[in-house]
Amino acid sequence: MRVLVVEDDQNLREQLAGHLKSDGYAVDTAEDGEEGLYYGREYEYDAAVVDLGLPKVDGIEVIKQLRQEQHSFPILVLTARGHWQDKVEGLEAGADDYLAKPFQMEELMARMNALIRRTAGYASPVLSQGDLQLDTAKKEVRVAGSSIELTAYEYKVLEYLMLNPDRVVSKSELTDHLYEQDFDRDSNVIEVFVGRLRKKINPVDFIRTVRGQGYRFVTEG
Amino acid sequence: MKHSIQNRLLYTTTAVLVLFLALTAWVLDRTFTAAVEDAAREQLTQVIYSLMGSVDEVEGRLVFNDDLFEPRLSQPESGLYAQVSTELGDLLWQSGSAVTTAVEIPQTNAEPGSFVFGETHDGRAQFHLSYMVIWEGVDTEQVTFAAATDQAPYDASINQFRRNLGLGLGAATLVFILAQLLALRWGLLPLRTMAEEVRELEAGERSALTATYPKELGGLAGNLDRFVAHEERSRTRYRNALEDLAHSLKTPLAVMRNALLDAQPDKTLVEEQLTRMQATVTHQLSKASAQGPVVVGKLVDINELVQRLTRALETAYLERGIVLELRLADKVHALGDERDFLEVLGNLLENAYKYTHSRVAVTTSMNAQTGIRVCIEDDGPGIPEAMREDVLNRGKRLDEIQNGQGIGLAVVTELVALYQGQLGIDESKFGGAAINLQLPR
Repeated sequence: MRVLVVEDDQNLREQLAGHLKSDGYAVDTAEDGEEGLYYGREYEYDAAVVDLGLPKVDGIEVIKQLRQEQHSFPILVLTARGHWQDKVEGLEAGADDYLAKPFQMEELMARMNALIRRTAGYASPVLSQGDLQLDTAKKEVRVAGSSIELTAYEYKVLEYLMLNPDRVVSKSELTDHLYEQDFDRDSNVIEVFVGRLRKKINPVDFIRTVRGQGYRFVTEG
Repeated sequence: MKHSIQNRLLYTTTAVLVLFLALTAWVLDRTFTAAVEDAAREQLTQVIYSLMGSVDEVEGRLVFNDDLFEPRLSQPESGLYAQVSTELGDLLWQSGSAVTTAVEIPQTNAEPGSFVFGETHDGRAQFHLSYMVIWEGVDTEQVTFAAATDQAPYDASINQFRRNLGLGLGAATLVFILAQLLALRWGLLPLRTMAEEVRELEAGERSALTATYPKELGGLAGNLDRFVAHEERSRTRYRNALEDLAHSLKTPLAVMRNALLDAQPDKTLVEEQLTRMQATVTHQLSKASAQGPVVVGKLVDINELVQRLTRALETAYLERGIVLELRLADKVHALGDERDFLEVLGNLLENAYKYTHSRVAVTTSMNAQTGIRVCIEDDGPGIPEAMREDVLNRGKRLDEIQNGQGIGLAVVTELVALYQGQLGIDESKFGGAAINLQLPR
């Protein structure tokens, strides 16, 4: 999952990026509204965290612009003043959720997780498909009730595929959304991850290879 | 620099006054001059008629009687002259005054039987009147009777009149301008008083406008007073909040500083103190920024705020699939600050969304006596009767706010009290809590 963080305070920006990374997200950061708009227009994100009080271009304006240009990834706004005026204006501009500063990192992680799931159409933090269950909160995968040990990358691949069901996901899309930018984009690595993942979640087999295009997570029926 | 109100009024009324007086003077002058001319003409007409009456006809010739009815016609330099002449201009008769003063009255060609009036200015200024008759049985059939009078006495009376008129109107102008100045000073006195009182307000020498103002200014003075009082209250609230804030932040700061002295600082303790500080900051800042009932504010549409907030909350709580029911009465408007109402309704609605299982219902109503009522219901666990008082009173003492819980409600109760409204907790017909908010109109 690739996430954009637009926050002008360096300390908070680094904390946010750090926590999101350790939670398994690939993170881009922007320190003002202009940079935030640039990233939001240039890359496909799975979610964004936008502070409302930003230099150069105001947070509300950033959200309005992105929404106007049909970028539909979920946006969580951070408000420092915590007034309802700010929260309502943020949501009216097109944000999906709000969090008033100061906030607990756990709270923010939970909200991000929920936003991404909700955008994919899942109501519960546990994504399930047949015998396969993926708990996005605990980062746990179960097949037919028993827990499966996955590496961080295997988990990320499975989560991304489950959040984008019935759609061909190319290898480059996977690398774009799952890895930090400096990652060596070797498609063989993805093939290896997917191959190991399929073996581990055997006997459930929802991941199909679409030759020359990528992978598809098929849902039942 | 704009003209003062006094000067504006003074300039316009003076201009109108001058115009009016000039017009009056002109009309009076014309009327008087015309009347003087008429009098002269009347006198000359009388002379001609008398003259005609005194003529005798003897054997085809006209005989004039020198013993005249008007003694001035016989006196030299009397100013009144008469003559009779033929159509060829030959004089048949001249009055004694005309002979001695050597006055010749200009000959005018008039139709028989009609008067011709005129004036001459060369030499002696005169009014003159001629009358031509056809006298049958006389050698010279057409005879012109003419009379003239010096203009000097008439001019003198016109000049006299003009002098008097000028003096009279001049005096009237002066009196009028003086009266106007007095009226303006008197009329604008309340404004001056108010300006002075406002200056004293600014200088902090007084706290309200105390003079009695005429009804045109009474409203303004009242508004100013309320504005000042409101300003004062806001300032006090702001100052108190800041003092409370500083005061209540010092304790947790001290606790944390001391905790850091330990070789292994107690993480839970620090966290507790941070939470406490966060609650304090949120609470006190909301308190300080509350506007309260405004003096010159616009009407805030409560329904619109409810709709904006519920739309926003529906977005934020999308995955919960909460069903919203709105029952909004027509025209529910409150006088106050929009942000205050957003704060109250936002916190109450957020609580409803947070604690409900599946539905939130908002009902608004407006009543002339009881004011505005907003009822927010949910089907969550509700608040047990025994705890309701506590929930409403929570936050009245800051120390009681634990873990940031209930700060929202504490802010709400404070704002509602500021607006002299009421907040009540009941059981909803859905089984959850029903929060009743009442605001005066």
